[in-house]
Amino acid sequence: MQKVHAENAPRHIEVTAKRFGFEPAEITLKKGEPVDLILKSTDVSHGLRFRELNVDVKVGKGGTSEVHFTPNLTGTFVGHCSVFCGSGHGSMTLKLHVVD
Amino acid sequence: MQRIAYFALAALLLPAIGCKANPPSGIETRVVTSAKHHFFVGNKKQKNPLASTPDTIADGKEAFSHYCVACHGMDGQNTGVPFADRMSPPVPSLASRDVQDYSDGQLKWVIDYGIWPSGMPGAKGTLSDDEIWSIVVYLRHLPPAGSLGEPEMYSH
Repeated sequence: MQKVHAENAPRHIEVTAKRFGFEPAEITLKKGEPVDLILKSTDVSHGLRFRELNVDVKVGKGGTSEVHFTPNLTGTFVGHCSVFCGSGHGSMTLKLHVVD
Repeated sequence: MQRIAYFALAALLLPAIGCKANPPSGIETRVVTSAKHHFFVGNKKQKNPLASTPDTIADGKEAFSHYCVACHGMDGQNTGVPFADRMSPPVPSLASRDVQDYSDGQLKWVIDYGIWPSGMPGAKGTLSDDEIWSIVVYLRHLPPAGSLGEPEMYSH
């Protein structure tokens, strides 16, 4: 039973946001695999949005937020910070690869 | 020696005479507007990858509120911007024909790179491409002038 539970459990991914980048800056997920994405900020408020995947999570100053999603498209998607955080905000990106 | 004194005097007077900012004349405005539309502002043919939907309009309105409202007002029509008509050239209404006649690609270009020597700065890197395209969508759906009040920064 424990094994079944482990197979169905969502994958946990931790991403740290800091002006003006994400760490890691690139992640790979499997299509159809549920994911818990935990977004942590070490400075100001940030967000992470993948428009094509309908994923948007925001995190307050120094806080932690979580979003659950299951990628249903394959390809490479560029996520952007979705909370204006200063002069380099527009270049704050995370590359997400979704594979079969 | 006398020649050097003349040059020094001219240099001292230059800021008072040569740097005075007057409103542009009608012909200056027409020539510059035409030059911008046809020569200086590029990217005319690029299409907006975002469709005009209530969601993208709302995205554009939000992105606009972070970076553009200080000069253009919440409504893009300078409402509540105290210096809008005192700049040379004045800050244009984004609902005006001069602005709306730009293609979507040109509006993206203007937001990316700004327009020198007006006060319009470039936002490339400060805003993401996605945000800038959403602003272009918002510019095509601006609310009535004055309907959103004035920027909060001028209310205090």
